[in-house]
Amino acid sequence: MNHPTQWEAVIGLEIHAELNTKSKLFSSAPNRFGDEPNTNINDVCTGQPGALPVLNKEAVRKAVQFGCAINAQIAKFSKFDRKSYFYPDSPRNFQITQFDEPIVLGGSVVAEVDGQEKVFAVNRVHLEDDAGMLKHFPTFAGVDYNRAGVPLIEIVSEPCIHSAREAAAYGMAIKAILQYIDASDCNMEEGSLRIDANVSVRVKGEKGLRNKIEIKNMNSFSNMELAIDAEIKRQIHEYTNHASRPQHEIISQATYRWDPEKKETVLMRRKEQADDYRYFPEPDLVPIILTDAYIEGIRSSLPELPLQRERRYVSELALPAHSAFAITLDKKIADYFEEALKLCSNARALCNWILVEFAGRLKDTGKTLIDSGIPASHLAKLVAMIDKGTITGRIAKDVADDMMAAPGKDPEQIVAANPDYQPVHDQGEIEVLVDKVLAENMQSVVDFKAGRDKAFAFLVGQVMKLSRGKASPQIVNDLLNQKISSL
Amino acid sequence: MHSLSAIEIRDKFLRGEISAVTIVETFLKRIEKYDHEVGAFLAVFNERAIQQAKKLDEKRKAGHKLGKLAGVPIAIKDNIHVKGELSTCASKFLTNYRAPFDATVTRLLEAEDAIIIGKTNLDEFAMGSSTENSALQKTRNPWNLKCTPGGSSGGSAAAVAARFCPLAFGSDTGGSVRLPASFCGIVGYKPTYGRVSRYGLVAFGSSLDQIGPFATTTADAALLMEVVGRHCEHDSTSLDAPQEDYLSSFNGDIKGMRIGVPWQFLEQLAEEPKQVFSAALEKLKSLGAEIVDVDLSILKYSIAVYYILATAEASTNLARFDGIRYGQRSARAKTLDEVYDFSKEEGYGPEVKRRILLGTYVLSAGYKDSYYKKAQQVRTLTIQQFKGIFQKCDLVALPTSPFTAFEIGAIKDPLQLYLEDIYTIAANLAGLPAVSIPEGFSRDGKPLGMQLIGPQKQDVRVLKAANAFEKVTDYHKALPELAK
Repeated sequence: MNHPTQWEAVIGLEIHAELNTKSKLFSSAPNRFGDEPNTNINDVCTGQPGALPVLNKEAVRKAVQFGCAINAQIAKFSKFDRKSYFYPDSPRNFQITQFDEPIVLGGSVVAEVDGQEKVFAVNRVHLEDDAGMLKHFPTFAGVDYNRAGVPLIEIVSEPCIHSAREAAAYGMAIKAILQYIDASDCNMEEGSLRIDANVSVRVKGEKGLRNKIEIKNMNSFSNMELAIDAEIKRQIHEYTNHASRPQHEIISQATYRWDPEKKETVLMRRKEQADDYRYFPEPDLVPIILTDAYIEGIRSSLPELPLQRERRYVSELALPAHSAFAITLDKKIADYFEEALKLCSNARALCNWILVEFAGRLKDTGKTLIDSGIPASHLAKLVAMIDKGTITGRIAKDVADDMMAAPGKDPEQIVAANPDYQPVHDQGEIEVLVDKVLAENMQSVVDFKAGRDKAFAFLVGQVMKLSRGKASPQIVNDLLNQKISSL
Repeated sequence: MHSLSAIEIRDKFLRGEISAVTIVETFLKRIEKYDHEVGAFLAVFNERAIQQAKKLDEKRKAGHKLGKLAGVPIAIKDNIHVKGELSTCASKFLTNYRAPFDATVTRLLEAEDAIIIGKTNLDEFAMGSSTENSALQKTRNPWNLKCTPGGSSGGSAAAVAARFCPLAFGSDTGGSVRLPASFCGIVGYKPTYGRVSRYGLVAFGSSLDQIGPFATTTADAALLMEVVGRHCEHDSTSLDAPQEDYLSSFNGDIKGMRIGVPWQFLEQLAEEPKQVFSAALEKLKSLGAEIVDVDLSILKYSIAVYYILATAEASTNLARFDGIRYGQRSARAKTLDEVYDFSKEEGYGPEVKRRILLGTYVLSAGYKDSYYKKAQQVRTLTIQQFKGIFQKCDLVALPTSPFTAFEIGAIKDPLQLYLEDIYTIAANLAGLPAVSIPEGFSRDGKPLGMQLIGPQKQDVRVLKAANAFEKVTDYHKALPELAK
């Protein structure tokens, strides 16, 4: 080929979300993370002979809620199957899952990618129980069955994702929906949201799919983006460097894991032949039969979903679409925003302070605004003080630093207690600075008079800089206008 | 006293004619004297039973209300949990496994003041038709100690036939209650699938398993059904139906009842069992029942279907016995794979291994469609054919087994043994209630059983007809030599 080959990635995601029910999928044992090993267990979760599974209705309800939230078809008949494999974390050595008749079929999710909305298609959602966890010690391994039997929904996308950014956007949209309907805690570090990505590449225009690689162990969206990008590059590199070999030999089906230290995907195991899980219908459970009334009852009582809230923010609060999307992505942040909105009507400013200023300050702390200890009312007060001209934008940034340092301290008190935070209203004091700036920047005055508005903003900035952000912006504006017009 | 029925013993106790301790001691003495010959029990609860009897005597003395089974000793097959006691399933794998909870039937029995007297032998994990597959001991037929008691609930059947206790529970996946009942000359009943909770029964073929009673009379079996035949929230396949009233319908009146017999299916039956069965049908006729010929040609596939479905389910049900969490772990094992491989190799007997292999095979990719799925389709056809037949008749009658009890070790070919279940399996495939009642004896003095099968949920009808037959026959009153 004479021209460089155009490659395209094809990605499908399998998202496992642990449902936040009180008890497990098939038993009354508590569904709780972080307890002492093997304390939240009973005869069902340890696979005792004679124990029988009994389906948790709350888990069914949450799965149906999710299905309704993505506008999917809810199956009025679905059933469970046994999936056989031997591993110590599987107490019966078979998982109870839904093989060919899942509870939710189809559906779609809207997410924003690089400022553009994109619709992603979901293939299916099914219910299944989680496995326990192996813990390795120097001379032996132990199994913790606390997680065994925790209800999961597995959300399988169509292979409709074409970049790491799209994958992250889709994943975050799914997470947002799960949180809005209160179906899952979605804590990726604790494993209540786990994502596997199936990645393949092909030459643009090619119809079929090439062999795919499954990537596991991506415990954050940023890791997922890195992992998928790395895997796409690796595959393209392989195909390019071994162009003479048969395609299916260059990349053969395998499972890789993301190594965050090495920043590369690492081979876990090859799939020489398809695993034989010997699926067959679970005889200890009856099929799930749902009525139209049940499904409609859930559909009609769905809470506001992220997309609906985003649309509302755009239409009612006139937020830019991107800000509305970003602030609605995390329900708790959106709720925080709305709480602040009760005390301060400047939605754009609040949004900016939440998404840019405080998010930036919190970035390295590992906390979010929600658990920072800063109440929404304090944020509202901060923005209101700027709007009223009590403080300048520049001073507000210092006040925000102080709020971070002493969460819970009222920003009005912070300002009152610090003489440095009082804006300068003394006309004479500011006039000296204005004169100095005009004298040193005559070219800008000329430019402004020639119709360049930016030049005026520059001059304002210079005065503010000299005043170390303390000059009242209104007085600076007025003085500059007066002086320039008389020049 | 040992030859009295459970109801008679209970009534004597309630009337104050006998103490619970005396009842229990009588039966414990019989077990001590004869069970070394029979081998029915894997565990005898001497102290536990006496303690319970003492409490019951005090309860009666204090004038408290007493249960429907007050003072009646009962034996439980060793694949049904009694909390704190071993549940070995007659497997080496579980010789150290203590039940962590009570089976629902155990709980219901004790709530009605029954006294659990011990756990009985079975084919390992209930896989077999003669109890010879027990990894722990041999059980002999009280009517002829050279013979097997049938299986897989052979220990429970032998215990009741030898009058070691008036009642027992077994489990029936393909005939495991009815066949040994027939071989041992007693009543054995498999309820409608879902009538009795499976919670606490170690699963073999989950879609086929039912716990069922052994008794010397249909009334005793009915009494047990009144106690345990109720909805259970721990078992999702439990029928959502109220408890049935059996005994009040036992008026002996089956006039006009239509009883279907699939004569075509019985062509292969040998002369002697055919004669005994025909004579039993005549008795039913004399009671006013109408005998009608029915077509159950689908039954010829039932053994093949059963050994695919039951083993498929079993291969996964038994996967949990891996040496990791409970049961025996091989001492030789050094790696995870060795724990799995050696523990199973050492823990399971040959029949269990054979069935796990078979079940794994029929579910494997490439074979599932031609075996498992095909078998499911035939199962559906079987259910449909029965539905059709029950438009024409009220019950179906069949011999319980084509043979009488055979000598221990006589049948070496496992496939030959599988044929023992030819008449019993269909009721499990279709989830139907079915009873085996004594219908006579062979010339060499071995009992034979007749089976009555009813439509789903018609448990009362099945036992009522059996009771009517019992009222005009004496076979159930005959005692083996060691019980005379």
